Formats: sequence, structure tokens, C-alpha cells
Amino acid sequence: MGAVLTSPTLRFLLRRLAQSAVVLFGVMVVVFSLVQLVPGDPVRIALGTRYTPEAYAVLREASGLDRPLLLQFVNYLGSAVTGDLGVSFRSGQPVTALLTDRLPATFSLAFTGILIGLVIAVVAGTWAALHEGRVSDMIVRVGSQFGVSIPDFWMGLLLIMIFSATFGLLPSSGYVPLSQGLGPWLSHVILPATAVGLVAGAIMTRYIRAAVLEVASMPYVRTAKSKGIAPRVVIARHIGRNALIPVLTIAGIQFATILGGVIVVEVVFAWPGLGSLVYNAVGVRDYPVIQGAVLLIAVIFLAVNLLVDLLYAVVDPRIRLS
Amino acid sequence: MRTTRTAIAAMAAGVLALSACSGGGDAVDLDGDGSTADGQVEPSSDALVAAIAGEPDQLDPHVTSAYFSFQVLENVFDTLVEPDDSLEMQPALAESWEISDDQLTWTFDLRDDVTFHDGSAFTADDVVYSYTRIIDEELTPSWRFAAIESVTAPDDSTVEITVAQPTPNLLALIGGYKGMAIVSEDNVTSGDIVSAPVGTGPFSFADYVSGDHITLTANPDYWGDAPSVPGVEFRFISEGSTAITALENGEIDWTDSVPVQQVEALSGGDSELAIEPSTDYWYLALNQNNAPWDDVRARQAVAYAIDREAILQATTYGTGVLNQLAIPEQSAWFTEYDEYSYDPERAQELFDEAGFTGGTIDFLATSEYSETELTAQILADNLEPYGIDVEIRTVDFATWLAEQGEGNFDMFMLSWLGNLDPDDFYYAQHHSEGGFNFQGYSNPDVDALLEAGRTETDADARRDLYAEAATMIADDASYIYLYNPAVIQAWSPELSGYTVRSDGAIRFRSVELTG
Repeated sequence: MGAVLTSPTLRFLLRRLAQSAVVLFGVMVVVFSLVQLVPGDPVRIALGTRYTPEAYAVLREASGLDRPLLLQFVNYLGSAVTGDLGVSFRSGQPVTALLTDRLPATFSLAFTGILIGLVIAVVAGTWAALHEGRVSDMIVRVGSQFGVSIPDFWMGLLLIMIFSATFGLLPSSGYVPLSQGLGPWLSHVILPATAVGLVAGAIMTRYIRAAVLEVASMPYVRTAKSKGIAPRVVIARHIGRNALIPVLTIAGIQFATILGGVIVVEVVFAWPGLGSLVYNAVGVRDYPVIQGAVLLIAVIFLAVNLLVDLLYAVVDPRIRLS
Repeated sequence: MRTTRTAIAAMAAGVLALSACSGGGDAVDLDGDGSTADGQVEPSSDALVAAIAGEPDQLDPHVTSAYFSFQVLENVFDTLVEPDDSLEMQPALAESWEISDDQLTWTFDLRDDVTFHDGSAFTADDVVYSYTRIIDEELTPSWRFAAIESVTAPDDSTVEITVAQPTPNLLALIGGYKGMAIVSEDNVTSGDIVSAPVGTGPFSFADYVSGDHITLTANPDYWGDAPSVPGVEFRFISEGSTAITALENGEIDWTDSVPVQQVEALSGGDSELAIEPSTDYWYLALNQNNAPWDDVRARQAVAYAIDREAILQATTYGTGVLNQLAIPEQSAWFTEYDEYSYDPERAQELFDEAGFTGGTIDFLATSEYSETELTAQILADNLEPYGIDVEIRTVDFATWLAEQGEGNFDMFMLSWLGNLDPDDFYYAQHHSEGGFNFQGYSNPDVDALLEAGRTETDADARRDLYAEAATMIADDASYIYLYNPAVIQAWSPELSGYTVRSDGAIRFRSVELTG
């Protein structure tokens, strides 16, 4: 990594960060506008059975919703830059605190999920590619098609049925932070992560199979084979390393997707992550929470993409960061 | 697929190996002694773990109106009086009370052995502060104080409530639910009450992990019998099948996140299952500001045209009880009434009399309560022979509330929860000035009866007033009553001393965990 951090890399980083800022500004404009278009008046909903015209006017003024839209947006932007994403209409808690409370659980789930998915995809995808056209290839292809078509929440219910209800091996719900020990953490995360990972794995298997097939047909692989290098070494050194680029790309996208949107899986497993927070916030029109969560998910997407691009250069020195 | 299955098996094996390493024993503890899958011990080894179906919005009892908040707060706060298992009002923070001869002054004698969870003593000033806060800031339960003139504290252990007119249901008003909790002024002014409430109840608040759980600890200084379980952990599990699995695995000890579809399967298992009729009720309302529903005959026709039994089966799998008035049979305020039955001929006659030859009904349903969508479909089928096209409009609940408030509907279905006194059941809903009379019902005779019921102090006379009002309301089809749903709860056989309450309040103060 040290060799990569030269000045072109720094310039690349700065340029990407500037681009990210522009994208984030766009995200904020879009989310802010969309939220205005959603039917249902948040002040009215926040008041619920306490609604009186007087209380309505007071709360509307207090939450700044009576000001012109442009001014509301500028205020929001100004506070967001300093890390203040406002206060939840529903609970009165700062949005930043709500989001950071949920991040560890979401990261646990996404990280374990993508790891499971990668293990499945690398093994199955490489195996299928190396046995192209044979029965095992077909089985992997059908299997991955199957995995892609199955909704992750259904996979979750199935896993609960098998591992919790029938065999009583694993807890069906809840989250334990890693700080309470690896065992407890893992036993809670494994089922939801598997539900997410099986689906992500099925998607990635197809990409890895294609990538390995492409690399395997390259002249240098033929050369390596003709030099009498053991097939295992050819696969690991020559094919594996070169097939990593497309794998990184799809793994990055999948990882960011899991971080941002495994809402139903989180609901099924009573998992206290970002997904269930957004789910509840949408239901009660908790605008500040919705806006904050979408913003955070956008930041995560951009960060993961940037990381993937940086990793390209590590994996393949031929790629220059410029 | 073989790879996948092998992977799962390998992972499961890995987890087991890791759990063994963590020094904890094996897998899920099927004896339900509070330890979980990996032998990890709960914060307090014998703490009761209860799964509720959703997360509280916040924990200030005077502000929240969410049922999930009250499930927790029931165990943290006290009220001056509180309903016992048969919903009769009993002493709580007030040991006794007297009513003046003119029925206008209520004097409450408070317990002198009560402290808040932060150690400060409970006095009459706390009652005055709590009630004044609700009134002055117009908080959620402020309507309950409509008749109250003043709340004063002549001394530390006495509270005097003066009312403008005789208020026979005062005890139900101040004790009927935890929204009337006595709170601590320090807790309010510091702002902590929203997330870390301080009460006088059997359990004190300990910990809140957003999206996951709230932990309460037993209050050893509770003025009543101190709880025998060291604490209660409330977990939020909205998916019913997940909650049931967790119960059967011993991960949790109690839940009310029970889908009606699973009741039959559950009743054969090891868990205890309770299906108790509740005081809640579901009803249909037709918008009486829209033709032809301004004609009582058209509304009655709908009441005869619907197949209540089919609706009951579809929505509750038969766990609910059909009801033609709001108040269920087990209540002392029950009134006999059985006018409406499935009678297509009578329905057609009434539609003819009303001169109705067909049209559309804009049915406002909400995805929040699947009951409303299911019932709308049955209704569409029931009303189709009369030339009525039921157009089902399903919206999320936030939009639903706004649409109801603005009168944008021909018909809707919803429920009322946790009412105790007949005034709760009828005034706001059917008085022409009632705050929840969205259907636009107005009958001067009913108004007069409901007003009289509010001030009548003779219990028998009061019962007669409400019986007459309720009958008129049903005759006029202001609401078309459907059924009382059941309170469905399940718990582990190791949990004893727990009573299911028809008002849905969940009290863990007297439970024990064995095994």
C-alpha cells in the first residue's frame, strides 16, 4: 500500500472527494425535494391525537416548516455540513445519534454477509468456470439463478425455521455487539448474514464465473500452462489475481447495497440496523431521519466505491490512479 | 446447490465450535433459563425477556400515544388509582379517597412510603406538578381533565381535585391508563424523561438500545410487593413468526407478537397461550355527510348486508367475538343488543326505501392494519349484489389519519383500544361535538344522554343512560360494530403469576420465573 500513496494517488483522492461532494449535494437536493412531495403532513402526524390548530401552528413554526423551501434547504445544508442532521420528529433524539447507534449492527450484518457471499461465489464461480459446460457447471448456474430469484427475507424465514425452530441451534433474532465476545456476536449475526450472503453470493457467482472464464482464455494463461506450471498454481496466481478486478467491483456494489438496504431482512430478524430505522421512519413521515439515513447511505456508497478504486491499484499495478 | 448446503453446514459447525470456545455451553438453551444460544448470560441471569411487537416512539407517558410505549411504561410508572384484573379501580399511589357531598371535591390520601427511582420522596406536589403539566401544556391526555377546575396539595400527603360538575368517572379518567402517570419534575426539566424515565413503579428504567431492547431493573423499594424477577428486558420483534420461534427456543419468556394464523399451531406446543376477549373493538363508519349515507336506512341496509362471521374469521381466525355494540359482554357496562344479522332481503328493502339504486363506495383502508384490507374485500363481495362498487383505497397510516380528519372517505374501518368507562366508548365518537366523530353523526337525543351520563353519580341510573344511548347509536348505525378482537399472548411454562388483562396492559410486577 505504501508504494501506492504517491502524489498522483493524492491528487486522485482529492479529485474523487471533490466529485463525491458534488454527488452528495445532488443527493441532498433530490431527497429534500422528494420528501416534500410525499403525501401526509409531518406536523399533523407528529401531533396525532394531540392535534389542535394552535398546537399545529406552534410545532410548524418550531420545526421550521413554515419557512420558504429554499431557506429550509439552505439551513439544512448548513447544519448537515457540521454533522447536525436535525432532530427526529418522532422521538426528539438527534438524527446523528440515531444513525450512529445503528451503524455497528448494520456493519456487522453487511460485513459478515458479504464475506459469506464472497466465499460462496469464489468457490462456486471458479469451480463452474473451470468445469465449463459440464454437469457441475450447470448445477452451479441453476443454483445461482435460484439464489438470485429468492427474496432475501424468505431465505431468512427459511433459515429461522431450520436452524432456530427445528434444530434450536441458533437464536432467531436480536443483535449482540462484538464487544460482548466473538461467540455471542457471531451466533446472532450468522443467520441474517447468511440470508443476505446467499443472495449476494448467488449474484456474484455469475460474475466470478464469467471473469474466470475470460481470464482462463488469455494467452498468458495458455503460456503458463504450456510451461508446465501446476494447474493449482495457474488458477491461484494467474487466473485468480487477474479475475479479482471485476470481483472487487461487484463485491463493492453488493457490500454497499447490503449496508443501505436489507430492510426486510432486518425486520425479520429484529435487527437494529439502518434498514429498520428507515422502515419505521418512512411509516411515520419522520423527515429528518429519512433524510439523514439516505444521506448516510449515499456517503457509504461513495466511500465503498472509492475504496474499491484504490484497491484496483493494489491488486493490479498496471492500473494507474489518474 | 450442494456447495451452498455444505457452506451452511460448515458455518453452523463453525459457530458451534466458536460458542464452545467462548466457554458458554451449547446452542440455544431450551430450558429457557434466560441464557441464550451461546451460553451468553443475560444482563441479569434470571431477568424476564419479553418480546413486544414494536419500538416505543419515546418514553414520556404524558406525550406518547403509542401502545408500545405504554407496554413498557406500565411497569415503570404509577397512577393515583389503577384498574385491577376485572378493571375495577383500586388504590395505587392514593391509599384512599373521599368525595364531598356536593360531588365536586375529591380528596385523595397518598401513601407516605413511596420514593421515585432516583431516591427522591414522592409527595402531593408531584401529583399537582404532573396534572398541571398535562393541563397547561395540553399534552396527550389533557382531554381527560376537561371537567377539572383545580388540583391542589393542602399538605404533603393530600391532593384535592375540584371538578366543575359531578364526574362519576373521575377514577377511570385518572387511573385508566399510564398516560396519567405521576412523573418527577427533575426528570421532566432535564429532558431525560423522553429516553430515561424516572417513575415510582415496580421496575426502574436501566438501558435503552435503539431498535433492539429496553431493560428495566426491579425496584427493591417498591411500595407494593417488590418484584421477584430481577428485571425485565423488552425486545422489539415485529415479525410474529420470529417471536414465536424465539419463545419456543427459550430466547424469550413472553410475547404478544403472535400472528392469529399461528394460534392453532401454538396451542399444541409447550408454550402457554392465552386468548382473552379484549375491550378493544373494530367498527365500520359511513360518512354521513355524503349521500346516500346521510339516510339512516342506507346505513342500516349496509349493517344487514355484511357477513360479520366471514369478516371475523378472515381477520381473527375466529379468535375474536362478534359484537353489535362497543362494550363487550364481560364488562359491567354491557348492554344486550342483537338487531343486526346477515339478512340480504332486509338490506334490499332498506336500500329500496332509501331510494338507492347503486353507486360506488370509496373505502379508506390502510396497509398498517391488514384487517381493513381484508374486510374491504369481503364487503366488496357482500355489497356487489346491490349495485355497489366498493373501491378500496389503501394508504399508509399517516395518510389514512389525514384523510380521515379531512373527511375524504365514504367508509372506513378502524378500532378503539383500551377504553374503560362508557364515556370513553361513546362521547368522543358519537356526540355531535365529539372530537372523533369523523363520520358526522348528529342526534340531539344521543347528545343529551351522553351529557347526562357524564355527570350522573347514581351507578344504576348511569348504566341506564348509556344503555339507551348505545342502543340509539347502533339503531342509527353511526358505527357499524363488528367484533372485539382477542388479547393473544404466549409465554414459557416457566413463567408463573402472570395474568392476561382485557385492557391489554402488561404487568410483570408479580411474575416468577422458575426452571
